[in-house]
Formats: sequence, structure tokens, C-alpha cells
Amino acid sequence: MFFLAMRQMVSRKKQTVLIFLGISFSAMIYVVIAGIQLGMRQYLAEQLLNNTAHIRISGREAFIVPEEIEPRVAGAGELMHWIVPPSGRRDIAKLENPQGWFDRLRHDPVVVDFAPRFSVDAILARGQSKWAVGFVGIEPERQVRVTSLEDYMREGSLLDLRGGGKKMIVGSGVLKQLGARLGEFVSVTLGDGDTYPFKIVGVLHLGSKELDERLVLGYLTDVQQINKTPGRISEISVALVDINQSKRLAAQWALYGSDKVESWEEANAAFMQIIIIQDVVRLVITISILLVAAFGIYNVLSIMINQKQKEIAILRSIGYAPARIMELFLWQGLTMGISGAIFGMLLGLGVNLLVGHIDLGFDIGKGRSLLISYAPSIYSTALLMSVMAAVVASFFPARHASKMTPLDIIRANL
Amino acid sequence: MTIVARHVIKEFGSSHTRVLHDLDVTIADGEFVSISGRSGAGKSTLLYLLSTLDHPNHGEIIIDGETVRALSVRALHAFRCRHVGFIFQFHYLLPELTALENVLLAPRNVGLLEEKRPQAMALLEQFDIVGEKDKFPAQMSGGQQQRVAIARALIMNPRYIFADEPTGNLDTVNGMKVMQILQEVHRRDRTTIILVTHEPDYAAMASREIDLCDGRLVSDVRRGVS
Repeated sequence: MFFLAMRQMVSRKKQTVLIFLGISFSAMIYVVIAGIQLGMRQYLAEQLLNNTAHIRISGREAFIVPEEIEPRVAGAGELMHWIVPPSGRRDIAKLENPQGWFDRLRHDPVVVDFAPRFSVDAILARGQSKWAVGFVGIEPERQVRVTSLEDYMREGSLLDLRGGGKKMIVGSGVLKQLGARLGEFVSVTLGDGDTYPFKIVGVLHLGSKELDERLVLGYLTDVQQINKTPGRISEISVALVDINQSKRLAAQWALYGSDKVESWEEANAAFMQIIIIQDVVRLVITISILLVAAFGIYNVLSIMINQKQKEIAILRSIGYAPARIMELFLWQGLTMGISGAIFGMLLGLGVNLLVGHIDLGFDIGKGRSLLISYAPSIYSTALLMSVMAAVVASFFPARHASKMTPLDIIRANL
Repeated sequence: MTIVARHVIKEFGSSHTRVLHDLDVTIADGEFVSISGRSGAGKSTLLYLLSTLDHPNHGEIIIDGETVRALSVRALHAFRCRHVGFIFQFHYLLPELTALENVLLAPRNVGLLEEKRPQAMALLEQFDIVGEKDKFPAQMSGGQQQRVAIARALIMNPRYIFADEPTGNLDTVNGMKVMQILQEVHRRDRTTIILVTHEPDYAAMASREIDLCDGRLVSDVRRGVS
């Protein structure tokens, strides 16, 4: 039947080509949309993961609230009226027992590695220019294993910070704002009057303006020292073996103490919502395109089956069973579906390669053009959906054809 | 080896218009039967009943001792494929296939494509259309197309050939050619041929003439072996 199916398709070149193109375009559009969306998402997720890791353990901010003090002052159950209610903050956020966390994480098999950090707000000064930044103390060897920050180094390496000695890596925007150059010294002050000279040994470029203009990295003990709080840790980034476990583990670890434990999904709830919305949008677009393509197949095959009634009657009277008539039309739908999907995927790949090379004039990640995902799953989904649409769309006309009896057709044509 | 129609009644439509009234016909193996009558006499209907394409409302068709209605769809298609050849007025060739490919349709269905190819060539040669074997139906004349259709009906060496006005669309010369081919097939292979025609000349070429009028048997004349 495949032979005859091919012959019938060749004899209707125009219709065949139209359906083929319809399927191709739907597959292509899916590949392009999914490529751009997923590429963008991958980039955003990388940006987020750089800063949050899979799980982030940080100190809880402790605020002073009247309800906490009342029982201690007036005794339990007494009603108190404050003239001036107490307010304030007990301390800056810090981990209560960082050493305890280190011991626990070091021996946990689900943890790949972890990196402690200590962040303070600082002002950098070089000559007349001053610039407020977030100064983050890290352990470079661990940081490299937990996040992909190293990939975004424009000059130098994270590992240049090793051993301390007042060295720092600055974001590309920070460098620009200070008018400084690699290798120069910049003074750092935390607002307590003391200033410390730090040497710029590297430049980081994440492609995000806020981060590049605010982020400065130093060696952990250097930052602890200038803040006069040795051993203090403000957060620990944890990389897990299985990223999908992060939510569950975060909930479990939160029970160990008073520290705040957040999975990256929780830390970026808004971002996760955007991802879900994107998924829905992509699905809707894809389904509508596929519907149009499927209707094309359905229409053409229906019309063709009407035109081919006589031939169906002949085949049936010669002894071709209904199942074989069905085969004849299913083959045509399937052939157009598969070939159209493959051609569309190639087209989509071409468009993606093109779009991925357009210079947009602003920084996105490491380059200046859209980041596009070439994940195999996009292509397998495109193939699967196109073929499914083709099969479903050709199934109904094919079944209709197989149910025609030779006599009905002959009588109708007499 | 006979086809028996017993008390066959055929009605059409919701108004139960009766086309055949309680008909009894027995066709023996090796007969060349023509069914004639005016249009609307029920001759085509009878042909389709005898050829298993249609079923009667009442009564039964028995082929080789088996009731047609009791056969499964699969058995019915196998029977048509192996033992029955159809020739229609509108030759119904598949326009996408060449003459040779059209002739080989039935063998292709049962996986005998290559085995039957020499025989297909022989048939085309016999019908004087071997030069047209790679032409598509649209490139052939009506007579040539009908001869291809006959070759297609003969390729499986059927025991029965059912022909519904095979000459209806042809001029006298081509019509005569078709009739002579049928006669020769009948004489040579002892194939049972059942032919519907409304032309008395062609009806007279058969060995037995059945005449229908308004769904009833008017005459059933056997001639000596032609």
C-alpha cells in the first residue's frame, strides 16, 4: 500500500507540497519559539543559580516585636499598653552555627559541595569617585565547584583570590563606575572610618546590569577581617547531586535550627511563575499551529477520498480488505507528517542559528545576541507532535474510506 | 461448483422499493451467462448479489455450497481476490498507476507481484496493448483502458468473471473486441462468465441468456455450446 500511497501523493503534487509545508512550518515555529524561550530561561536560571545555588542557608533577620517582650516584663497573660512600642533589629543576619552546618554538609551524600559566603555593604573609592557595592567574601575553590561564576570571568580567575591578601574581583560595571583598571588599588570602607586598600585582580561580567554594577568578590577571611567579625558567615550555598530534591531537602534542613533554608525555587518564586506561564503560552501556540496543520491534512485527505471513491471501490472488489484501504490513506498522512516534521526541524534549526547570530546591541550573558537552546528534547517533541497530528488527522478520513462498500460507491456513480 | 440464488428479494431505500422479486437462478460452472433487460430491470443488482458485493434482503446466495452471508469479511475478500474478476462499464483504472501496474494490483495484494508479472505481460500481449504497458490510463483510448481492465480481472485466473456492461462505453469495434476476448477466455479456460448487457447482439454471444423485466425472470434460454 505504501507504493500506491506514494503514487497518489506524487500525482497530487500541489496538495502534497501544501500539506508538507503546513506541517513543516508548524514544526519550525515550535522549534524556534521553544529554542528562544528555553535559551532565555536557561540563561536566567544560570543567573539565578549563580547567586542562590540549589539551596541557600542564611541567617534569619531577628526583629524586635512587642509580643515577644510582653510576657517577660508583665508576666504571662497580662495585657500591656505601650506608650512607645519597642522596635528595632537585634543583629545583622548571620548564621548561628556555621561550623555545625559545615560538618553536616560535608558528610551528607546528597551534597556535591557547599560554599560559605560573608556579605557586607561597602563603599569603594578611587580618587574622587565613590561607589557603593555589595562586598562578598568567598572561598574560591569551593565557589568554583558550587556555581558557574568562573565562566563569567572576563579577566583573571576566581582562583586568583586564593590565600587572601586584600585582593578582589569586581563586576565590569563597578570597574567602569570607578574608572579603574585591572591591577590598580581601590580603597574599601565599611562605614566605620577605617579604609583598606584592595587590589583588583579580576573582572566579572554576568551580563546583568544590576549585578555587574554592584558585585565585588573578595577572599572570605579578608572580608571577615575588615568587618572585624572573624569566623562569621552570612550564608552557605549548597550544590546538590539532584537539583529536583532541593525543595524537599530545604524543608528538612530548616528543622535543624533557626537559620533560614531556601531552595532555589522558593527563592525565585516569581521567576518560577514566569517559567510556568511561558510553558503554557508555548503549549497554546504549538497546539493552535498543530490544529491548523492537522485540519489541512484532514481536509485534503477528505476531499481526496471523495474524489477517489471509484478507485476505492475497485480495490475493494479486487479483494483489498478495508484495513488495507485504511493503510493507503494513513501512509499518506504519516509520510507527510514525518517528512514535514523533519524538514520543519531543519528549517527551525536554521532560523535559530540565524537569530542566535543577530547582534542586539546590548549584553545578554556572555554575548550580545539571544541565547538559544538546542536541546534535543525540543526536536523530539516537535517530531512527536507533528507525527501525532498527522496520524490523528488522517485517521478519520482513512477510516471513513475503509467503511465505504464497493457497491455504495458504484451505485452512487451510476 | 455453482452459484445459486434462492428466493432472492432485494429492496432499496426506506420505501422498500422492490428491485428483485423472489428470484431463483442457478449458474453452473463454466457457463457464459448474459443478463439482459431494460434499465431498471434489476440486472446490475442481480449481478452484484451473485458476485458477493451485495447481500439480498431475503433469500440467499450460495456459492460452492457456502452461504455468502455466513462468510467472514476476511474470507469474502480472500474469495474475491482469488476467484473473482470484475469488469465494470467505467473501467475504473487507478489513474496513478501504469497499465501494467493496474493489471498487477490483485497479485500485489497477496504478495504474488513478481510471480504474476510474466502472465500480466502475456495478457497485455494477447489483448494487443503490450506497447501501452507503461502508459497511464489518461494516455490510453477507452478501448485500450477496458482491455487493461479485463487483463486485471483475469490475472488471478478467476473461476468467475462478473462484467457489468463492459461494452457500454465503447464503440462497436472496441465493443466487439471485448466480447470476443470474453468468449475466448470462456472457451479456453472454462471460466464462468456472467455478463450484464442491454445490447441484444452481445447478449446473443453468450451460451445462456437470462432476460429480466421489472425484477422478474422473463426468459432463461440455453443455447448449445458456442
